Amino acid sequence: MEMLELLMRILVYGATLSGIYSLIAAGFTLIFGVSRIMNFSHGAFFVLGAYLGIAIINGVGLNPYLSTAISILMVGLLAAIVYKGIMSPVRTQEVMVIIVTLAFALILEQLILLIFGEHGISYPSMVKGVISIGGVPIPSMRLFVLAIALTALILLWILIGKTRLGREITAASQDVEAATLLGLDVDKLFLTTVFISSILAALGGALYAQVYAANPFLVLKSLIFAFAIVILGGLGSVKGSVISSFIVGYILTAVIVLYGARWSELTALLIIIAILILKPTGLFGVKEL
Amino acid sequence: MSEKVSRRRYVKYAAAGVVVVAAGAAGGYVAWQAGKKPKAKNEVVIGVLAPMATYQGSVQRDAAALAIEEVNAKGGILGLPVRMVVGDDKLDADTGVAELRRLVTVEHADVLTGGYSSGVMTAEMETMAELKTVFLADASSTEHPAKVAGNYEKYKYWFRITQNNGATFAFDLIDMLDMLRTNGVQVNKVYIIRDEHVWVEAVEEFLNPMLKEKNVEVVKNVKIPRGYTEYEPLIIEAHNLGAQVILPILAISGTGDVLAKHWATLRLPVLLAGHDLAALDLGFWERTGGACNYYIFIADGGVVQTAPPTSTCASFIENYTKKYGHPPEAHQGYGAYDAVYLYKMAVEEAAKAGERDPFDSDTVVKYLEKIANLENPVELTRRIAFYPPGHEKKWDHDLAWGDEYVRNWVAEWIDGKQCLIWPKERANAEMKLPPWFK
Repeated sequence: MEMLELLMRILVYGATLSGIYSLIAAGFTLIFGVSRIMNFSHGAFFVLGAYLGIAIINGVGLNPYLSTAISILMVGLLAAIVYKGIMSPVRTQEVMVIIVTLAFALILEQLILLIFGEHGISYPSMVKGVISIGGVPIPSMRLFVLAIALTALILLWILIGKTRLGREITAASQDVEAATLLGLDVDKLFLTTVFISSILAALGGALYAQVYAANPFLVLKSLIFAFAIVILGGLGSVKGSVISSFIVGYILTAVIVLYGARWSELTALLIIIAILILKPTGLFGVKEL
Repeated sequence: MSEKVSRRRYVKYAAAGVVVVAAGAAGGYVAWQAGKKPKAKNEVVIGVLAPMATYQGSVQRDAAALAIEEVNAKGGILGLPVRMVVGDDKLDADTGVAELRRLVTVEHADVLTGGYSSGVMTAEMETMAELKTVFLADASSTEHPAKVAGNYEKYKYWFRITQNNGATFAFDLIDMLDMLRTNGVQVNKVYIIRDEHVWVEAVEEFLNPMLKEKNVEVVKNVKIPRGYTEYEPLIIEAHNLGAQVILPILAISGTGDVLAKHWATLRLPVLLAGHDLAALDLGFWERTGGACNYYIFIADGGVVQTAPPTSTCASFIENYTKKYGHPPEAHQGYGAYDAVYLYKMAVEEAAKAGERDPFDSDTVVKYLEKIANLENPVELTRRIAFYPPGHEKKWDHDLAWGDEYVRNWVAEWIDGKQCLIWPKERANAEMKLPPWFK
């Protein structure tokens, strides 16, 4: 019975964390997969989703649902501006892209620190109450967050796989020149991808602040975790990122529950390294010819 | 013949070179000494050195500014106007050391107040000792007074004024558990959640034996890294292990708001009571959306804002609120405010006693020890006394702990307010248990 309770705790709590990680990781790998842009400002969009949402709730007095929707759209627009202004001019130079996007992320971190301070901020609960699953008390909010994250991923899958826009994005990711020759506006497709991926990150941030709390230092921490998860899943593979998010989320939760909180991040990172030693391209990555 | 001439010329030029170098060195030395020598004193400079991007830092600057304004309105210190200079240590040891040096050697600070991080303070104490500048400080590590005890002549310029050291948290945590028992809560098992940081070792060194004496079992002791947020599994585990109290010993983790949020969401019959720096912030209620209601904590620094311990404290809170539009954001404000006044008192006492240079650091140290001692604490926003040199626990120049001095009072968040709930003689509210705790 005790073992069953432990397993249930790991299963449910691990799912929430994994769901949030999958949003940020899917977005990060989507940009890279389509446009070969290593967007190091992705963590900043994650955190901004939470901070803008809270600012709208407190400043304008809107409800958390509407505030979240507005904040993620604002982050998407900001990301589009950043792409046009900073990333697009240096898109073909990978190192420059990393430098400028990282610089933007650090500037944003400092701005958030100056405006909001270093303390964490939390979303008001969108869903209250606790339900019991297998004898384990689970806040309804966690199930809500998981549901939203999974819905977003399903919508992303439908968009990429079943819509014309998705097919165009796929075409551009496979061969930019051929896509251009076919009359596709490739730069517009990249811009759209950046917009979508930053919306995913911002949604992840708002959901994270719902369950935990967002703080300025998550700008880099979330980027590091997203990057590690994406490498594990295979750079450019959305399916790989989602699966590896769940692997990492469950490793973290299992270690917290079974061995102790202080070992969780170290264990997760060690396992990621071990897997990459065995499979350097990641779980679903493709060897470059 | 030409060889002799060239040798003579060589010696002549060499001698001339030596004279030039010696003259240059002498001139440089004279200039250096002149630079070192203080100009005739026409002002008193107080340096505030703290992490200015945090509440804990900025409140020290603002509180010191208020104190200095008041002092200047009454004629300054020995008739001299007081000026404040500010340094930002950015929670980094190297930056703190550089800023301390700048405040003393460039800005000519006569005295320093500030601090927050124990690690940064440890580094800064070396520069403080080198520059022989009095530092009325914050931070909680017992390592700092131990340095004074280990080498008094070198480190005597350091005094802790803002709060008691971390080891005293153990005494007040035990008092808190006694209070719970007095109020009918059967406490015999606790679940500790603590920072994975050296500062907690000093607390546990005293806490663990006292818990044993009180027959309180520690069912689990969980170390968490900075930024940790997954508290729900820990709270569930605490309940499953039969703990009546989850006892946080937190300051560095920075996620006390998440702990409160998760505890209030789960509503398991286990109390949340301990030391959490996050709970001290006045903004904690807003940040947790009220989830911190019924959170019991010990208040570092000896002030719970709704129950100021002295009339000076009540006035300070009122004047600070008038000036800045809100009450002091963190307990470090009381320390900085007291530091300005205590320094003033020490200097004036020294002048009254006929000291040749009342601003001299060695003199100030002597008078700080004299006026703020265990027999006669100084009443400012708190009752300030320092342990004397040679203290049995090596707490030399540390802030004295006790009912008649400064204590980490037991407080609780009740319906949006921080209330002092223990000891009874000082309490301004009765402890309230969460409705889900049976």
